[in-house]
Amino acid sequence: MNRRKKISIGGLAVCAAALLAGACIYQSKKTTVLEVGIFAGSNWDVANANSYVIIDKAVEKFEATHKNVKVHYYSGIRKEDYSEWFSRQLLRGKEPDVFMVLGEDFNQFAEIGIMKDLEPLMGADPEFDKNAYYATTLRSGQYDGRQYALPYETVPMLMFVNKSLLNKEGLSVPDNDWTWDDLYQISERITKDRDGDGLLDQFGMYNYGWMEAAYSNGAELFDENGRESYFNDDKVTEAVRFAKQISDLSQMRKVTKDDFDAGNVAFMPLPFTEYRTYKTYPYKIKKYTKFQWDCITLPAGKSGGNTSVIDTLLMGISSNTNQERLAWEFLKLLTYDEEIQMDLFRYSQGVSVLKEVTQSKEAEAILQEDMEKNEKFIDNRLVSDVIENGVVTPKFQKYSEVITMADSEINRIIENDDNIENSMRILQRQINQYLRR
Amino acid sequence: MQKLKLHDIRLVIMFVNFIAVFFVVVSIAWTTERICSNYEAREFLDTIHALPKHPMTNVYIVVLLYALLIAAFVVRERLYANQPSKIYVTLILDFAISAAIVGVMNFNYNGIFFLVFTEVIYYVKGNKGKYLMICLALISFLLTDQKLLSISYNLYSINDYFNYYDASVQQYLIGAYNLLGSLNIILFIIYCSLMIQQQRGTIEEVNMLYEELRRTNADLQNANGQLAEYAKITEHMGETKERNRLAREIHDTLGHTLTGISVGIDACIATVEVSPKEAKAHLERISEVARNGLLDIRRSVNELKPDSLERLNLETAILKMITDMKSVTDMEIYFDCKIRKLKFDEDEESAIYRVIQESVTNALRHGKASLVRITMEKEENMVLLTIKDNGIGCAEIKSGFGTKHIMERIGMLNGTVEFRSENGFSVIARIPIRWGEEYD
Repeated sequence: MNRRKKISIGGLAVCAAALLAGACIYQSKKTTVLEVGIFAGSNWDVANANSYVIIDKAVEKFEATHKNVKVHYYSGIRKEDYSEWFSRQLLRGKEPDVFMVLGEDFNQFAEIGIMKDLEPLMGADPEFDKNAYYATTLRSGQYDGRQYALPYETVPMLMFVNKSLLNKEGLSVPDNDWTWDDLYQISERITKDRDGDGLLDQFGMYNYGWMEAAYSNGAELFDENGRESYFNDDKVTEAVRFAKQISDLSQMRKVTKDDFDAGNVAFMPLPFTEYRTYKTYPYKIKKYTKFQWDCITLPAGKSGGNTSVIDTLLMGISSNTNQERLAWEFLKLLTYDEEIQMDLFRYSQGVSVLKEVTQSKEAEAILQEDMEKNEKFIDNRLVSDVIENGVVTPKFQKYSEVITMADSEINRIIENDDNIENSMRILQRQINQYLRR
Repeated sequence: MQKLKLHDIRLVIMFVNFIAVFFVVVSIAWTTERICSNYEAREFLDTIHALPKHPMTNVYIVVLLYALLIAAFVVRERLYANQPSKIYVTLILDFAISAAIVGVMNFNYNGIFFLVFTEVIYYVKGNKGKYLMICLALISFLLTDQKLLSISYNLYSINDYFNYYDASVQQYLIGAYNLLGSLNIILFIIYCSLMIQQQRGTIEEVNMLYEELRRTNADLQNANGQLAEYAKITEHMGETKERNRLAREIHDTLGHTLTGISVGIDACIATVEVSPKEAKAHLERISEVARNGLLDIRRSVNELKPDSLERLNLETAILKMITDMKSVTDMEIYFDCKIRKLKFDEDEESAIYRVIQESVTNALRHGKASLVRITMEKEENMVLLTIKDNGIGCAEIKSGFGTKHIMERIGMLNGTVEFRSENGFSVIARIPIRWGEEYD
């Protein structure tokens, strides 16, 4: 090799090194942008004035600990537009790195593989312990046995009680371990024709269906993979029969929302968010103002407990993200950071998905803050129990179609006074046929 | 002609594949935009099983990859047409690029492997390599069937995107998609059949040429036989002629002389007793006749052996030539031989003799020389032969002065010769001699 060749090779090497160094410096100075997809307002359609407070706080906290990272989100996307907006981003390949997933989208999104499987990230993170979450909320983010989303905020179903009406009838508010029998007895006593026009005008229950009954009777409607249904199971038929008994009390008269708002109905299943919003200042003056009211658990069936369905807002990571590490850090901040989760009680109406946070004194204090002096907010430890024992709607692709089919058929059975055993057997066969197709 | 046709079909296949690939990625990108602008994205998501990461970027990637494919095609055809190993490399590159394109498109179109097929068939000559490459391409084609793969993998399907449109539009789109796929296969079949036809044509051509060669060979053998016979006849004729000549010579000389002698002796017998003196005179005449006859015979024999060289040794031949030359011209010729015994192989002697003869003739004819010096000496293994005259020489040594002839002769013995034209003309020849031991 002659000198000239040596010099030119040396020159090339120097150039390459300089380029590499330049690229490294550029890389270290460059700002990485993490896209986040969120919607404005509440997931549970209650008024919420503080849509972006929590996310802004989280962004600030995140950017402080992560140099050269900017978190960006589009503000002003309403919940009803969010699904379409997100789908458009998805189709164009521009979906955010971290995003909220609506309950009705989760199954399909997981199915088409656009959500990152979080199991490896969870496993590799020593700071992360999934047992900090309520197991039920965690299950909401599982599809096909794998964790595709983490819970961010959860809402249990409670039972609204019209205290004024019960007091008027000389009854007290039932305990939180009440049963179907208690419910039936109270409803039976309350259901009457007050003005004597021959028509019933006071009712025990509004909007309580076979599904609520089934959840509190420990019934399982489907197997894990959505290949089989168990509508003919005793627990389900009992629930359907009980729902029919309650419905029969009103003697063909359909109880309406107007009856309820007028204070003529004793019970109604109500999501925790509604309770939180309309029980406390400032929204308490907007709804249910004609009577005293409170919330308790749902009544337990013969084979079940005081359980109800819980609805969880999920957050996931795009399977196409280039910022896996950052996305996971940010997701963890939103769903796993106790400070951020505590803010859910301050600025949102749901419940934190972390057991520690929801059961804490601080949470209790925040919940009590906006109540009137003589009233006490529902015990947060009770809420915690309800969440812990809550029911999660099954996660498989055909779920929403199947449950709509089943619901309308069972309602028809109840209305038509059909033989419940037989009809449920037929229904189960039909649903199973559809599931296996 | 055939080759041109095959080449054209390759180009058409390349074009059709590009249209097909482009059609798939553009349809998906275009439909995506339509869905988005119609706010039907969420609804659409319910109808699919997977979706491309970046529909628009896919268009760019696929076009870029296809450009690479075309580049490989051009490089193969223009630069490496005769370098099999490099052609292999470009074919493997083709294969890799095609696989990448099919992968980017999530196996929605895999007809591009036919393109690799055609290239392999066109370029790979060795059977082993050809079958290997064809197997590779065939297996890739079969394994990249979307319906097969979608059993175990989540793949986006162009049909899901077509299904977005009304039935009437759908028909056209699906029709176009299927048409492109079929067109590709049809072109490939045409290409293959042309290829087979061409190969059969080549075999026929070879057979024809072979047949012709066989016939020519037979003709040649025939001619050879005839020639041999002819040569035999010619030889025979030469023999006869020579015999005739000999007979004539003998008759002319020996016959004549012997006749004279016998007649003279008869006269002597008759007169010897009458007049011994007369008889003596007769005998003297007879003696002369006999001597003349002897001379005649010698001359005849000389004529039979055409060259004096053949009957004399080299030195004598040279000396005789010199004497002859001197007797007819007034030129002085000196011959100086420093080699002890001039006896070489026949071709060597002949060359030396001829060179001297030619040079002397040249000196006389062209140089108008009055003096020629010939020297011969041994120089290493060579004979150095110099013929120098005092003639006018020549300004420029032209071939045709007999020099060409000299050069040829010396050249045949691997010798060298140079010509100089200063103070007359000199020929200096160096002739390598096979010095046999017996001549030393």
